[in-house]
Amino acid sequence: MPLDTSTYSLALLRLDGRRWNELRRLTAQISTQASADGSSFLSMGNTKVICTVTGPSEVKAAPGASGRGDEAVVSVEISVAGFSGVERKRRGKGDKRIYEMQTTIATAFQATLFTHLYPRSTITISLHILSLDGSLLATCLNASTLALIDAGVPMRDYICATTAGSTSSYSSNDEKADPLLDLNGSEELELPFLTVATCGTEDEVSVLVMETRVQVGRLEGMLAVGVDGCKQVRDILDVVVRARGKRILEGSQL
Amino acid sequence: MPREVEPSLNEKQFFVKALEENLRIDGRAFDQYRELDLEFGDELGVTDVRLGKTRIHTHITAEVTTPFPDRPFDGLFTITSELSPMTSPFFEPNRPSTTEILLSRLLEKTLRRSGALDTESLCLIAGQKCWSIRADVHVLSHDGNLVDAACIGVLAALQHFRKPDTSTEGESVTVYTLAEREPVPLSLLHFPYCVTFSYYSSTVEEGETVTLLDATLLEEQLREGSATIGINRHGEVCQIAKLGGVPLDAVAFLGCVQIALVKVKEISVFVSKRLEEEAKKRDKGGLMAELSAENDRVS
Repeated sequence: MPLDTSTYSLALLRLDGRRWNELRRLTAQISTQASADGSSFLSMGNTKVICTVTGPSEVKAAPGASGRGDEAVVSVEISVAGFSGVERKRRGKGDKRIYEMQTTIATAFQATLFTHLYPRSTITISLHILSLDGSLLATCLNASTLALIDAGVPMRDYICATTAGSTSSYSSNDEKADPLLDLNGSEELELPFLTVATCGTEDEVSVLVMETRVQVGRLEGMLAVGVDGCKQVRDILDVVVRARGKRILEGSQL
Repeated sequence: MPREVEPSLNEKQFFVKALEENLRIDGRAFDQYRELDLEFGDELGVTDVRLGKTRIHTHITAEVTTPFPDRPFDGLFTITSELSPMTSPFFEPNRPSTTEILLSRLLEKTLRRSGALDTESLCLIAGQKCWSIRADVHVLSHDGNLVDAACIGVLAALQHFRKPDTSTEGESVTVYTLAEREPVPLSLLHFPYCVTFSYYSSTVEEGETVTLLDATLLEEQLREGSATIGINRHGEVCQIAKLGGVPLDAVAFLGCVQIALVKVKEISVFVSKRLEEEAKKRDKGGLMAELSAENDRVS
């Protein structure tokens, strides 16, 4: 069902009233679950994710099955709630798309965490998706970053992610196409978009996933807007982490 | 499940040392593919791709089925990939490994989601009958870079394949055998090929990343990050998958996309050349010449 995004060129406002470079409301909480080693709740617009981190803990399975001897292994479990979408749907575990997301998050953090400090152990990230409205992978990555910080696992820098799209479809060759930041669910259905995650404040791209067709010339603009959005996300996450740190310090002075 | 054998410390150090001296173990340049070879089977829609020691067999089949109720005008196109224990003892049957799932996802995204095959042309009677095209990808030998090789294999097979001709009269469809009517080629809209980059950062000096194309199995096991770019020769990027791994500068990544475009143009030329040669070999001068009982005269 095609949506009508043609009104964009008139007022330069998107379906939900944002301009091209505006993020949706991003709220984050850290340390939400008392029982987990680290946890977070993050919502980007109407996409909401709870993340809990267990570990670094001893490898539970038979030794040699999965754990590499010299460094910790990051494993990710994603569960999509049945009520997350518009229609109630039971999602099986064998979904290849979810499996791909799990490996993406795991390998992204494997390269950013100081895993060599924890030989023969695993760090388990479990993500519970409560509500789905676009930018799913980006929300999961951001939530995992916060939960891992809460768990106190040393890492090089924050992994922050957003999506970026383009107002033109792949076929039309109009020069006026604007890049868009942080697409919602209905925009994702219609427009070409990519998910980009950066590590730190430099333009270091850690994850880049695109599944739609787009002209090669348009990629640069989309990537630039996405990387810029990641910096905005990083600032928001940083505020949350610092506020938490401050609270802990105040608590210890009592 | 038996665990995959990791490269030994010696192999690793040798590889790193060579990389520091700008050398690859098999002596290739950093952006050079291994020797690519494409053979066609006796049947239509069978290809055998060899990329160095990697070997992939692809088989296309077509049958008439009912379309999905929510998409009555679209035919079906499925890609199934299989990594059997024949390829390596670390693959178990009926238990897909990560390599296999990622391979099938990448093929799916590059070929199916980008609309390489026009599924609407596979419709026979809306909502009742359509063609189901199935591509079986069998990895016969795994020496790295399965995605690129499988993509070449499937696309070449799709171009080589001919489906039986049909005619529709009202509600009845007649499918003609290959002898009755010349079979028709599939309608392909564009040809997206994959190019996989492997990144190595900690092995070399600080702040520098070495990028290799067409990594062998050893190079794949030692890499710290990879990115697969699906792109067609018109410069339409169909899919990018940099699934984690070592972070890479955004500008450097755009450079990779340009390299991928150049490589894809080369691959496209190679595949169409091989297809032309194959068509010439098969063409015996029409049906009459094929049916003729006359022997070739030896003068």
